[in-house]
Amino acid sequence: MSWENPPVPHEVNASRESVLAEFLRLLAGLGICVLALAALLYFAGGWLARWVPISTEAAWVGDHVIGLSGLDDAPADAGNAHILAQLQALTARVAANMDLPQGMQVRVHLSSSDVPNAFATLGGHLVVNRGLYRRMPSENALALVIAHELGHIKARDPIAAVGGSASLALLTVALGGDARSLAPGIARLVQLGYSRQAESAADAEALLGLHRLYGHAGGAAAVFEVLDDYGREHREISMPTLLSTHPADARRIQRMRDAAADWNGNPPLVPLPVEEETGARP
Amino acid sequence: MEISNLDSIPGKAITRHLGLVQGSTVRSKHVGKDIFAGLKNIVGGELKAYTELLNESRAEATERMLAQARAVGANAVVNVRFATSNIASGAAEVMAYGTAVVVQ
Amino acid sequence: MELIIQFGVIAFLLLLGLVFGRAAEQRHFRELKQKELILREVLVFSEKHPPADQEFRSANLVVGSVVIAEDYFKRIAASLKSLVGGRLTAYESLMDRGRREAIIRMKQAAREAGASMIFNVRIETARLSESDSNRQALFAAEFIAYGTALVPATRP
Repeated sequence: MSWENPPVPHEVNASRESVLAEFLRLLAGLGICVLALAALLYFAGGWLARWVPISTEAAWVGDHVIGLSGLDDAPADAGNAHILAQLQALTARVAANMDLPQGMQVRVHLSSSDVPNAFATLGGHLVVNRGLYRRMPSENALALVIAHELGHIKARDPIAAVGGSASLALLTVALGGDARSLAPGIARLVQLGYSRQAESAADAEALLGLHRLYGHAGGAAAVFEVLDDYGREHREISMPTLLSTHPADARRIQRMRDAAADWNGNPPLVPLPVEEETGARP
Repeated sequence: MEISNLDSIPGKAITRHLGLVQGSTVRSKHVGKDIFAGLKNIVGGELKAYTELLNESRAEATERMLAQARAVGANAVVNVRFATSNIASGAAEVMAYGTAVVVQ
Repeated sequence: MELIIQFGVIAFLLLLGLVFGRAAEQRHFRELKQKELILREVLVFSEKHPPADQEFRSANLVVGSVVIAEDYFKRIAASLKSLVGGRLTAYESLMDRGRREAIIRMKQAAREAGASMIFNVRIETARLSESDSNRQALFAAEFIAYGTALVPATRP
């Protein structure tokens, strides 16, 4: 009988596969899963939010215009009151041609910002910047912008974005994150713009409305040329805001031109009244 | 390969004692089963997922111990013991060890 | 911004754990190999009955133990792996190191007592207490090996 201790192979007890490679693989997989889940939740949240009746949405929001701090709603001087009245009248005319659902109330506000932008926000509020009004070459162009934003309101894009970001915030909490630290970031992402699909749908609605109003869709392309020019001049400021909210890509301008050509060639455009305080249009 | 937790294999004579051999593994179930087990814990009863987990782990630990025994030229392992410890929650560390021997 | 800092801290700790933890582990494995070679003459068995054909002067209990902590990288890698299940490779090498170190320390104690063999060796693992409410705490495990060291009557 012999007693001995030959060396044993210890490596059988620890798998020799690389922990780091496995870790990186798992991390990539987890990242993809979380992103997919986030996208799914975002769309599911948006889809659910569209079922909220417009009257309920308007009641939640009330007179508060979300997403606007420097609201210049109250007519401070005669010029502003005049512009606001004109915007309201134009909006009413455009809205009458856009088959808005029953009970959908649109309230127009004028913001003093000089950035050429307009946006639709929760509760059927529509905000037009003075900068946009000032730069629009014709009433047709302004009507197109308003019709585009009405298209968003009609499609319930603002509340869908809120619903989507709310479900993303829920996911963040579920994953153990601090929703308060993430929520502003998500809100900002959402404000950058609706999906390309939603923008295209709003464009189509807007062209349809414009055609019904004027009998042609001339002047539409000019909007995007103005935005594009502004973006090129002001590279230092928030290009993404301008371009992703309203991506002024060549294809979009081309579609506007095509729409104008399809429907009536080159009809005369309705001029905007001259702005009183400056006395001249740029 | 014979395994026993006696000091010998009955009916056979040990000719060589080759010392300690051991096998161990750390395993866990996927997170879905962990969540289900957490829910099952409310009503009690057998947590099948964890029974399965520990059985798999023990089988693997035994296999690794036998791999060491084979490597030193043994044909049996005597006085085998199992030990289980819990390290991370939901993971099981199972260890099997014994003395590798040659029997005739 | 806060988020970026948080992720930065996590990435830094991961890198720290990966670089230093891995270096320490490889050094430990090299040391284990050397010490196992040096202590080869102390034989260990899990059997209860010492050889009947040899005489022993004395028998005493010898214990070897070590506490080993995981590093941050292992912790994150293992918790990621537990999502999908299977072997937690990051911990397996840790267990191997701990157990071998405990056996080596037990053998050292036996050699100091002049023993040539250790019988009825048992190995145990215990997780060191850690507040369960705080999920950030790293775990450490104690590995202990003990057995009866037999000192031969006539020194070879």
